[in-house]
Amino acid sequence: MDFALVVQTILNGLANGALYAVIAAGFVLVYRATSVVNFAIAEFMLIGAYLTYTMSLFFPLLVALLLALPLAFAFGVLVERGFVRPLLGRNVVAVIMATIGLAATLDGTALILWGPDQKAMGAADISQLPKEMPNLAFSMGGVFLSSKAVWSLILALPLAILLVTLLKYSRYGVLLRAVSESETAALAMGINAPRVVAVAWGISAMMAAIGGAFLAGAAGGGGPGHHLVLLGLIVFPVAILGGFDSVPGAVVAGLLIGLVEAFSQLYLESLLPGITQAIPFLIVLLVLLFRPYGLFGQHRIERV
Amino acid sequence: MKMNRRQVLKAGLAASTVYSPWMIARAQARPVKLAAILPLTGAFAFAGNAALDAFRDATDRINDAGGIGGRRFELVVEDDGYDVARGTAAFNRIVQRERPDELVFVYGNSTGLSKALAPEITRLQLPYTATSFSNELADPKTYPTIFVFGPTYNDMAGALLQQIRRQRGRGAKIFLCYSNSEFGRDPIPYIKEQSARLGFQIVGEEVTPLAIADATPIVTKLRQAQPDFVILQGYVLTVEPILVRAAREQGIRATFMGTYYSAELALMQRAGAAADGFIVAYHNAYYYDTTVPAVEQIRALRRAKGRDLSYRTTYYMGSWMAMDVIAEAMRRAAAAGKLTRPGMIEALEGLGDYNAGGQVRNLRWVNRRLPFTKLWRANVRDARFDAITDWVDGSKL
Repeated sequence: MDFALVVQTILNGLANGALYAVIAAGFVLVYRATSVVNFAIAEFMLIGAYLTYTMSLFFPLLVALLLALPLAFAFGVLVERGFVRPLLGRNVVAVIMATIGLAATLDGTALILWGPDQKAMGAADISQLPKEMPNLAFSMGGVFLSSKAVWSLILALPLAILLVTLLKYSRYGVLLRAVSESETAALAMGINAPRVVAVAWGISAMMAAIGGAFLAGAAGGGGPGHHLVLLGLIVFPVAILGGFDSVPGAVVAGLLIGLVEAFSQLYLESLLPGITQAIPFLIVLLVLLFRPYGLFGQHRIERV
Repeated sequence: MKMNRRQVLKAGLAASTVYSPWMIARAQARPVKLAAILPLTGAFAFAGNAALDAFRDATDRINDAGGIGGRRFELVVEDDGYDVARGTAAFNRIVQRERPDELVFVYGNSTGLSKALAPEITRLQLPYTATSFSNELADPKTYPTIFVFGPTYNDMAGALLQQIRRQRGRGAKIFLCYSNSEFGRDPIPYIKEQSARLGFQIVGEEVTPLAIADATPIVTKLRQAQPDFVILQGYVLTVEPILVRAAREQGIRATFMGTYYSAELALMQRAGAAADGFIVAYHNAYYYDTTVPAVEQIRALRRAKGRDLSYRTTYYMGSWMAMDVIAEAMRRAAAAGKLTRPGMIEALEGLGDYNAGGQVRNLRWVNRRLPFTKLWRANVRDARFDAITDWVDGSKL
């Protein structure tokens, strides 16, 4: 086995996994804060990618991404205020159906606002070439890392780790954990629970925007479009493997699935075409069968 | 008042004399319809909406010129979201709702949907074409009402293999990369079979989803296989730009090639300089090519209607061409007093003399498809595809 190839596959798998991790961490954050499974998470990526695209028409791409983040945060808060909060306390199935409806609404909204045409970051019309983040691709000892992989490793991965750290040690993290344990008790303690929840949605949208922007070619070779919704489905196996209510679990699971995908694409795909697409969902099946609370989820015992 | 038999007959004759012109006029006033099932939402919404734009323009052109044999032309549109189940449901709705004497043509979407609908289309004797260029659909013995308005994917691949023979000759190394879909797999057996016959080596094969997050594992295989050519099939610029860019970044010098749905300028817009030299098989006109009479017609119509004159995509151009040809067949069928489903098939078969204004080489069907295409090379500096061949018969290898 070629050692350089294995190292390269590991690094690329981790880089992709970092994007999955950052999106899934935001998804799990919302679940922890509100017990709402956000089935519109892939559309959050889509909106985030389009916000980055819009900013990229006026600014260099790195600046555009940084400017898109507060907009994505505001979008997340807006969704929480306008859509999620009125549904809190309702039947879980109703909330799930509502977030599926939200996904369809956001799909349609993106189509109306940005139009159906294929787009590339920073290119206002078809004759323009795309804008990209500074090219950080490098090759060393037979190991090649693409610019996208480097950016994912230096931006997405630290952000996901930062989120985990903040949740554990910051004041907001403590407040969020309090709200997720018992919103009523948190309110009784004087915690502004609605604000904590709104911030969770905002952060989730911001994390999805980072993932969406990179998957839409912020570091080259793609564009925003509905295919992001297909890519965004990966969030669900990642979250389930991680334990669904564990942000560190989502980060670890994202990296693991990124690695498994990379090795599968390299070694299994030619033997079993389509296996790489199926593997994350096979993992989910195994997790649900043998360890339903995932890698880091709480092992709840419900007494009836 | 009591009427005898003779009086009743006279009254009947008088009534029919008075009412028959009105009845005939009423029948003629019935619209002629074409139903289009398009991906207006979902991953291929860009192609579906561009096609709809072309269909609307073409509809205006037909009705501005007096319709079809005095009857108004109407478009029935359904969205399938690039989903076979939704498309099948949309098709069933259409055929149940529309009158057979009004609905004389259906334009469908995708290889998967077209293959799913083909038996029912045949049973209904419904003239049909689609966005798909699947080889299986160009089979008049099995599907006598289906037309493929261009070369099949096999023909396109054939044209690419001809180019490989010219560029490299025997021993050329080819890598195949295609999506795990009906669309992606369609020409692969043919490419393998013909490559073996022509002395080319298939040095690698990669199957991917329709969209991928990262092309590095594929590029790693390209580095190992060292191909001269990489043929991509079954994507609509969801994978090509990512792969080409990653490959160039890693120093892969192979020539990348694709078929009809890779032939859009967005390839260069998305992949940037890495797209330079990408070769595609494409059989319609590009909107920027004002030497093509059909392009001038489109521009004139849009100018007259006050519509946006900026670049129209290849998805628009292909749909405009299909509508132009279908409308001509309708006119001929109406002139022959046969504006019916069987009449449309007869008229389409007899379009060999029709001048489509440079949108296709000609309309002489070979097994219900038009096997000629051109090859084009991406020129990133000018943001265009330059023709590198004249019309090529892709079926002749």
